[in-house]
Amino acid sequence: MEYAIRTESLIKRYGKDFTALDGVSLQIKKGEVVGYVGPNGAGKTTTIKILTGLIKPSSGHAYVNGIDVTASPRQALRTIGSLIEVPGVYDYLTPREMLTYFGKVYRMGGVEIDHRIKKTLELVRLSEWEHKKIGTFSTGMQRRLTIAKAILHKPDNLILDEPVLGLDPEGIRDVRALIRQFRNEGMTVFLSSHLLGEVAEVCNTVVFLNKGKVVSSDSMDRIGSTMERKVVDVKFLKPLSRDEIEKLRAIELVRSVDVNDNAARLLYDGQPDSSVQILRRLVSLNFDVVSYNVESAGLEDYYVSVMGEEKGQSDGNS
Amino acid sequence: MEIARDNIMNDVFDTYLSVKFELMKYLKTRRLLIIAALAIIIPLIFYVKVPDTAGVFAANVLTFLNVLIVISAAMFAGDAVCSEFEKKTNLLSFPTPQRRSSIFAGKYIAALLATFLVVLLYYVVMMLQIAQLYGWGAIPTELGKSFLTALLFSAAAASVVFFFSAVLKRSISSTIVGFLFLMVVLRVVEGILTRVNQEPWFIVTYSAGLITDVLGVSSSLGMGHGEGPSTLTAFTPHFGVGIAVMIVYAIVFFVSGMLIASRKED
Repeated sequence: MEYAIRTESLIKRYGKDFTALDGVSLQIKKGEVVGYVGPNGAGKTTTIKILTGLIKPSSGHAYVNGIDVTASPRQALRTIGSLIEVPGVYDYLTPREMLTYFGKVYRMGGVEIDHRIKKTLELVRLSEWEHKKIGTFSTGMQRRLTIAKAILHKPDNLILDEPVLGLDPEGIRDVRALIRQFRNEGMTVFLSSHLLGEVAEVCNTVVFLNKGKVVSSDSMDRIGSTMERKVVDVKFLKPLSRDEIEKLRAIELVRSVDVNDNAARLLYDGQPDSSVQILRRLVSLNFDVVSYNVESAGLEDYYVSVMGEEKGQSDGNS
Repeated sequence: MEIARDNIMNDVFDTYLSVKFELMKYLKTRRLLIIAALAIIIPLIFYVKVPDTAGVFAANVLTFLNVLIVISAAMFAGDAVCSEFEKKTNLLSFPTPQRRSSIFAGKYIAALLATFLVVLLYYVVMMLQIAQLYGWGAIPTELGKSFLTALLFSAAAASVVFFFSAVLKRSISSTIVGFLFLMVVLRVVEGILTRVNQEPWFIVTYSAGLITDVLGVSSSLGMGHGEGPSTLTAFTPHFGVGIAVMIVYAIVFFVSGMLIASRKED
């Protein structure tokens, strides 16, 4: 099977003492949207820099559409669109001038360049800025422009490294909407991020990297079912009395109760029916319920568990 | 064979794209305009004192061309390599199907072309001045040789600055270090060698003296040489050796710069 992106035992050493990547092997199918997560210094950007030909591995291979990036960078990089870290922009140019240059680098014809510039600028909501100097753009606009550059040549694979870094909430929303759109169009997306919410929102597979090694890899669905918390968080209007806490414990579907001031975390069997029953019971017992949240699959908890930390450590205060 | 030819064609085209892109930068940032303005204004200063012959006038005007060439090389080649890493535009331009060597070769050629253009402008303005002051017929025939020598020195100066741009991390550092190396360091070495009666034949700024020397007249701005025990020996560069030195500087510094730039990782 030919994978969109594949790495074989990638090792990258800096000097004698530091190993950034220690035998990373990845297999990403065509059309998959894969989140690549890990703490700072795990080796995410190093992997991406190797995949995009920015640096060479000390050993191992990286393939894009079956083409070795190190051996045949020209052929391999033709099929990739990338956004790595926070790239600089040519602030003295206009988007049209910058994209025209890159269109020519990708050997696109004049008419095609013109068409794609209009299309991509429309997609990233920069059409009105086509002839304005990039130097006058906000950070979010510059990032959207670099995304336009990444997809200008209609690549099969999109490699994104922390694409929302430094963006305001609106910018983050825009970039995530774009990634979802690329996913729906069948593009393979390899997304490195330390924002687990982002990964959970747009990816269908997650690869966890720590200290230069892949520590886990699974689909979001399976991670979700593995990490079903079976917990409901309830907030009340005022702090609970001793009697009220006892009433909570007496609800038959509730297995255990953790109370903190006016909030309580109830452990139950995780069934949707049970959640409804518990809520009805709370109302019938005259509790003043302000909010009632059934916890979704906890990617953060999964992350903590695969990174070797004690699960539940963060719940210590509840 | 076919693949190798395709690769070469692609490399040539990518280099051409890089040259165009870099020249656009010079125009958009008004860098070219500023240096070109200097190339027009500096010769005009020499109207202040007009000598008797066209040859001496040309020698006087050309005395300052070396400085202009160094400024030009520093301004155009100073950020050729390091700015890509410093401004992180390498994260846009490198993960594309073009070799780094093509990008950097294009940047070097653009710096070279811009400096050539400045030199050409300088000569054109100077010739117009000579024509106006002494008549068209008075234009020294050796100016062609001087012009070609100036182009060669431009290539050497651009290569030296390009090398520093590949070695150093910041554009401002490489521009200043490149400029100081050519304007101060080499001249100090040249001065020391001259003091101990050694001809500094291998110093490129010494070879650049050929730009005026080929005219066969001494500039009225030049220093006189006295006689006696404390007198400095006056050396003049040998034409063949001087040309060879400039070619060697141009090639060695360019190739070294390219090797460093192509292997540079951030």
